[in-house]
Amino acid sequence: MLRMTILLAGLLALAGGIAPASASSTAKPPATAAHRMHVIVIDQMQYGPMPTDVRAGDIIEWTNHDILEHSATARDGHFDVDLKPGTSGRITATAGTFAFFCKFHPTMTGTVVVK
Amino acid sequence: MNKPLLALALVFGIATVASVQAQTPAAASPAPAINDAQIAHIAYTAGVIDIAAAKQALQKSHNKDVRAFAEEMARDHAAVNEQALALVKKLGVTPQDNPTSQSLSKNAAAELKTLAALKGSAFDKAYVDNEVAYHKAVNGALRSTLIPSAQNAELKSLLETGLKLFQSHQAHAEHLAQSLN
Ligand SMILES: [Cu+2]
Repeated sequence: MLRMTILLAGLLALAGGIAPASASSTAKPPATAAHRMHVIVIDQMQYGPMPTDVRAGDIIEWTNHDILEHSATARDGHFDVDLKPGTSGRITATAGTFAFFCKFHPTMTGTVVVK
Repeated sequence: MNKPLLALALVFGIATVASVQAQTPAAASPAPAINDAQIAHIAYTAGVIDIAAAKQALQKSHNKDVRAFAEEMARDHAAVNEQALALVKKLGVTPQDNPTSQSLSKNAAAELKTLAALKGSAFDKAYVDNEVAYHKAVNGALRSTLIPSAQNAELKSLLETGLKLFQSHQAHAEHLAQSLN
């Protein structure tokens, strides 16, 4: 019931045109009215540029454009996202600095700062 | 430099010289020394060799980092070779055996035999050192011979992607080799 209410509120906000405009070109339509999505593209054994200005509650999505399977695995064990070629996976950001790596290719590493 | 790698370097060295010679005669379109069917065969063979080396390491090594590296090699080279097979099928090209592929396979068989005689940390070190040298040699061959000689754009692009991946393997192998010293 609560979820439905939030969803309705979100739709109304969108319909009313009061959803905040995306500042960044990498940001897709917000998951909720307030939260943004940040995409990290993986290709040729590398994580693309790390998103900046990430806030708690935002969505971070990894999209694997490579021909190999990769992962986004938190150093502290908080998440482990498997990414087969051509697939995406996401987490909801919590405040702090998180380091991640690919469990199949330890030379692949990244760090995102969440405010 | 050990014998198999010297042979590998020589093979690719010769291929490079041959490709220069082939382009010397004033022809409308200089024929490369190796054609796409042969390039596909060489690239595929190079992958098969590294998978065989990885399988041997997984049978013999008890070192966690060495095993993780071997698993990476087996998985990645199988995935790249799968792409290569799908591409040649799509292009209607049959990979063509050639002296470079034969020489690679012969040298790899000798290296497997050498490594089979080693145990424990001696095996680990020899396997990883060979992986460093092997990836260096294959990456050098991709850069100097295979990629420039490839005629088909999709094959060239797959080789370029392969080079990026194998450079990352080389970095991993070099890092691992240092930690074993
Ligand atoms: Cu990876």
